[in-house]
Amino acid sequence: MSFSRFILGCALAMSTAFALAATPGVSDREIVLGSIQDLSGPAAMLGSPVRDGMLLRLEEANAAGGVHGRKLRMVIEDTGYDPKRAVLATRKLLDRDQVFAFLANFGTPVVMATMPLIVDAGRLHLFPFSPHESTYSPLHPLKFQIFAPYQSYMDAATRHMVQSRGYKRTCLLYQDDDYGLEVLKGVEAGMARLGQSLVEKTSYKRGATDFSSQIARLRGADCDFVVLATVVRETIAAMSEARKTGWMVDMMVTASGYSAQTHELGGAAVEGLYGVSVLPHPYAEGANSALADWIKRYRKRFGVDPNVWSAMGYSIADLFVQGANAAGRELTVERFVSALEQLKTTRDFFGSPEYRFSHDDHLGNRYGRLAQIRDGRWVILSDYLK
Amino acid sequence: MLRPLLLIAAILALAVGVLGADYAFGQATLVATYAIAGLGLVIIVGQAGQITLGQGALVALGAYTETLLAMRGVPPVLSVPAAMALGAAGGALASLPARRLGGLYFAMSTLAFALIVEEMLVRWTALTRGGAGLSVPTMTWGGLRVDAPLEQMVVSLAALLLAWLACRRLLAGRSGRAWRAVREDEIAAAEACGIDVAATKLRAFAIGGGLAGLGGALYTHWIGFISPEQFGLMFSFELLMLVFIGGARHLSGALWGALVVVSLPQVIALLRDVLPGQWSRSAGLETVLFGAVIVAVVLLRPQGLAAEARAGQTQVRKGNRD
Repeated sequence: MSFSRFILGCALAMSTAFALAATPGVSDREIVLGSIQDLSGPAAMLGSPVRDGMLLRLEEANAAGGVHGRKLRMVIEDTGYDPKRAVLATRKLLDRDQVFAFLANFGTPVVMATMPLIVDAGRLHLFPFSPHESTYSPLHPLKFQIFAPYQSYMDAATRHMVQSRGYKRTCLLYQDDDYGLEVLKGVEAGMARLGQSLVEKTSYKRGATDFSSQIARLRGADCDFVVLATVVRETIAAMSEARKTGWMVDMMVTASGYSAQTHELGGAAVEGLYGVSVLPHPYAEGANSALADWIKRYRKRFGVDPNVWSAMGYSIADLFVQGANAAGRELTVERFVSALEQLKTTRDFFGSPEYRFSHDDHLGNRYGRLAQIRDGRWVILSDYLK
Repeated sequence: MLRPLLLIAAILALAVGVLGADYAFGQATLVATYAIAGLGLVIIVGQAGQITLGQGALVALGAYTETLLAMRGVPPVLSVPAAMALGAAGGALASLPARRLGGLYFAMSTLAFALIVEEMLVRWTALTRGGAGLSVPTMTWGGLRVDAPLEQMVVSLAALLLAWLACRRLLAGRSGRAWRAVREDEIAAAEACGIDVAATKLRAFAIGGGLAGLGGALYTHWIGFISPEQFGLMFSFELLMLVFIGGARHLSGALWGALVVVSLPQVIALLRDVLPGQWSRSAGLETVLFGAVIVAVVLLRPQGLAAEARAGQTQVRKGNRD
């Protein structure tokens, strides 16, 4: 080996070592990830399964030798849906834990308060649970999202329902926050593309339990199809109120109401409810062998049955593992971003969509599937609607 | 005055050493911001003896005023006083039922005021964007941008210091004596001395509201995104809890309370990291431990942390002023 080659080799090795040392959260032995979840606040019922789903995938990856020999470690902070706690938790994860990336941060106020801190620190902000457009647009190299925006898939789902079933009088019941407004925009856009408009729309305040006046108003407008921008409890309450008054109108809820809890708690009142799914619920009954095996592993690890949120958490962690594997041994933020932009996922055993990112687009999926509650469980009716 | 300052410096130095600079500065920023809002409650609750359940709404008024003005390019030297003025006006408005109501009935009216403000912020979408919330621009004045944790901490601590000095001056003067007279006995202690009880209560609420507005104006920049749900009843209760833990009758109680409310969950989170696996997985562990600490504080120091620290000292002579 010539002296100049030796020097070049040393310089390359040093620069690689420096680049690795300069990548927070990445050491020879492990990759540290962070997640800000609601484990004690109003969305704790969703945050806990998301966390467990992620942990299961990371533990499996570690059991299989990790990613290019590095173990994956996740530090999870509970914010109770409080932006103040979220800001402090973010600083902890950035400064003390030195995480490489944030995964699945939960809730719009929390995400909006913490996302600027995260990307300003040069860390990845991956797949947050927030419908806010700013999680992927305008394009930012460190922001990636896989959850289809309400606006996009509710546009397609409303059009599909109105076209295929010939509804003439479509109405909307929506929560008066960012979630409800996003759905409203999507439904109105879908109706406009069909040359129609909403016959009636009415809102409710988050946490409402009595929907008698809203249902009376929608019934008074003679709606033949009601879109629900509600979450689980409100979906059940609104539909129960309609059925109680003998109104058998067709209703369709967003992915926020697509949950096993909807039919478990709602019972007969929610039978026939349509819903939009961005990932099918993992039912043990009728599951394919891979899914049945996953459910068994999840039960063994956490002692409870998984739900759709567990599947989402698992999918998010799986996407990270795929991206990190594709990025290669010399893991840096730039390499990970480049790997994710070129990644082509396939349908997995959950029936998830094929996620596609590109250099110009960091939203991996825009579509949802139509489902319906039949005999006390969600049944998928269509492929991803475009 | 020197002792609290030394205490703050010692805690901050310890925090920087243990937590790392930015994380510690972030905590100090929010502790100071909450303490400013807490000072307002010390005046209303601890000095004037009125129970208010709507302080979160006054913080919201300050936060929204500051955000809307900052979005239009108004510098903080104008927008922050405007936020304080709106908080003060809100406080004065919330105090009006006190002319006819007292005790729990008046507290209920402040609760109603908070609900009205929250509802207004949700419904007035043309201005507030309702539940969709507002992204808050960085605090900027001339060429100065307050966006680093250290800068935010300096601004918060400076604002806290000014607010503290102003409150101290007020409590030592005629207003402070009038508030304490109203607190002790509206008729025998206050009216008998020729104190206008209604005006005294209004002044306490206006100043408390102004401080809440100042806290809100800073909070909005540090959090960077506001929506009405952040300023709900839980937030009002959190502020009330803050002053009772810290000691409602002492200005330093606001700081002690803010330290507990803001930083204790973080300390618990750090301790949780060293617990064995299954423990650290427990959902809501921080909340449970936080609740336990609050109960312990209430049992062991019912007058608040600041009161205990001064036990046996010259409280009576100084009129519980600081």
